[in-house]
Amino acid sequence: MRHNVLVSRLALGLYLVIFFGYLLGPLVIMSMTAFNSNPFPTISPWDCFSFEWFQVLADDERILRSIRNSVVIGLGTVVLSVAMGLAAALLLTQIWPRWRATYYTIIIAPILIPGVVLGISTVVFWDRMSRFLGPATSDLFHNGIFLTVLGQSTFIASYTMLVFVARLQRYDPGLTEAALDLGATHVQAFRKILLPFMRPAIASAAVLAFLASFENYNTTTFTFGRYPTLTIELAQKVRYGINPSISALAFIIVMLTVFFALSAEAWRRGRMKMAGQAGGDPVPQRAGILPAFLRGNWAAVVLVLFSFVAITLFWTARSYSPEQCKAEVRAAKQAEAAKRREELLRRREEMRRQQQMKGPDIFAPSGRPAAPGASGRPDTDRAPFGGVFDPGNLEGQSGTGNAPRDGSPPQGGTEPQTGAGTGAENGEEPGNGGNRTTPFGSVFDPGNLSGTAGN
Amino acid sequence: MARPRLFAEYFRTNGRFLGITMMLLVGFWIIVLILLPQLSMLDFSFRYNLPPAEQGGPKDVYTLDNYRHLIYGAGGGEGSYNTVDLMVFGRTILAAMAVTVADLILCYPLAYYLGQSRGSGFVRLLVVLLIIPYWINEILRAFAFRIIFADGGIINAAMMGLGLIDQPIDFIRADIALYTGLGYAYILLMLFPMYNAIESLDRNQIEAARDMGASWVHIHRRIVIPHAKPGISSGMTMVFMLSAGALAAPQILGGPSSLWFTQLVYQWFNNSLNWQQGSAYAIVLLMASIAIVLTFMKIFRVNMGDIGK
Repeated sequence: MRHNVLVSRLALGLYLVIFFGYLLGPLVIMSMTAFNSNPFPTISPWDCFSFEWFQVLADDERILRSIRNSVVIGLGTVVLSVAMGLAAALLLTQIWPRWRATYYTIIIAPILIPGVVLGISTVVFWDRMSRFLGPATSDLFHNGIFLTVLGQSTFIASYTMLVFVARLQRYDPGLTEAALDLGATHVQAFRKILLPFMRPAIASAAVLAFLASFENYNTTTFTFGRYPTLTIELAQKVRYGINPSISALAFIIVMLTVFFALSAEAWRRGRMKMAGQAGGDPVPQRAGILPAFLRGNWAAVVLVLFSFVAITLFWTARSYSPEQCKAEVRAAKQAEAAKRREELLRRREEMRRQQQMKGPDIFAPSGRPAAPGASGRPDTDRAPFGGVFDPGNLEGQSGTGNAPRDGSPPQGGTEPQTGAGTGAENGEEPGNGGNRTTPFGSVFDPGNLSGTAGN
Repeated sequence: MARPRLFAEYFRTNGRFLGITMMLLVGFWIIVLILLPQLSMLDFSFRYNLPPAEQGGPKDVYTLDNYRHLIYGAGGGEGSYNTVDLMVFGRTILAAMAVTVADLILCYPLAYYLGQSRGSGFVRLLVVLLIIPYWINEILRAFAFRIIFADGGIINAAMMGLGLIDQPIDFIRADIALYTGLGYAYILLMLFPMYNAIESLDRNQIEAARDMGASWVHIHRRIVIPHAKPGISSGMTMVFMLSAGALAAPQILGGPSSLWFTQLVYQWFNNSLNWQQGSAYAIVLLMASIAIVLTFMKIFRVNMGDIGK
């Protein structure tokens, strides 16, 4: 029996680890890539601990402008969807029972309609409206901010409505009636009785609406016009060439989320504790090293630690310079490349010997034309043989020509995307010597051979 | 003017100003934001893609061409089907279903565990940990999976380091990254409704069943799952609809040769500038997903009112 309990506890623990690993692992790894100086967001070849991507992010005009757009759109969406959601929730409590199901289905439906459909329908509808109402409305009805706020509010109002409905279930309509009986006007009763009761729900609905608006992609991608939001800008960056400055932004967002989640939890626990004390349920006053507001509140403890780490990190970032480390990594990479090159040359030499034994090289002419043009790098003239020994060329050919793998390191496959930085490094490498041993162009390049053999 | 009596009642409880404001707001939402745009998109999908000069002219008539294009392709001829688009459509629906079922299986144990353990500090910690990924941008979540599944990413590096494989697996091309990322993107929308439903289940019922000698499987089949049915169906509906309509994850994680149906809609709309064709495809997607959800709700006897609770 006890054995059984142990097994099921282990299974539960393993399951929790897997589940939360799946949930949080990707975010942790993504955050870590923000600190790697490698120009491709990765952690497996860890180059240097560096803050440079935060600088790249801070210098990115487009990102900053898109954040401003996101905030404007978010605020508009909050106002509209909180108002509509509250009105809809109040109507739901009053509508005739026969209609209630239909009404509820209609106002809940936008949650289930694909965001793509909402975006398209919004654009199409307002485009036709502007044609119908004349050119005076054209500017407004094709304005990205206007369309995005309307498109997003369509479904975000359903979210806020659900929040309000949950809160209204605990409201006693007798309160409003009493106020009316005592001579208050409807507006007064609403402002003095209902609104204060709804305030927590309004606050959480507003936060919910803002966040939902901030991170929406599917609807916004059709409506944004000339005002891309942060999410749109991010999506474009991710789709067309990625670099770790996106990870840096992700890291900041993750940190903010953690910070707010912890604050909310710490606040909740603090209030619970206070309520417990007020209710004559004294918290045992243990003499501890922790100040009073942290006692029995793990969230507050973690929050303090978390803020401490964040401040340390920020402070380190201001004085830290990874130049030393980066130079070392560069040297190590060059050494690695040199070793690889030697290996290649040795193989080539062997192959040449074998072919010389076989006789004249009949494959050579077909291989030659490809060689001089193979490298489009600016510094090919520095390398005596048209850059044919540039490891980058070999890698390119090995991809197309089914050449035997030449032991390239894991990051090899990513190099074409990394832009000028590594490209220049590769281009310099032939100057290191070692290329003078084979004066035969690239004819003995294994890639060429297998390429022609395959034909 | 004699107002209908039902409205009289309404204005008596709310007052004229508030009553009118509320009706205007709800009316604006339902009519201008929900109904009219959908209808206008439906209307649009039956029209030809004409240059502005010919709009409203004699050529501007209703047609089924945009829908025919999905089935028969550009030629419009009978017999030759638009296999590319139809395959994309079928794949999207099937994959969205598979993602939904996978999320259900993955979430059920956790929802049960969280729902049935009384709110200890550890459980609160787990809930806070769950909420964090929920507020991270959808794009960034997809981006995280792109990093992990890249050629030089951590998974390939780890597997090569362990000697399991000798060259990187292209997870992106194999669509493994896409399915994992889609499952991840909406997993919490499966978890939370289920958790809420199971939380309201009285523990005594389970204990009574156990005392009577019910097996573990029996308890879940006869007590927990029937009680959690509204939560389960609500979660499944949301995950299915959202993954079938997902755009970000397929754009970022999808392989170069395989498309998601929403990407076709996007292409018609933004690349080909053929809004009519895009509307038709969007309508097909909407109708198909609604039909599937309603069918499953009918099979499992769930009401629409349970959704969103």
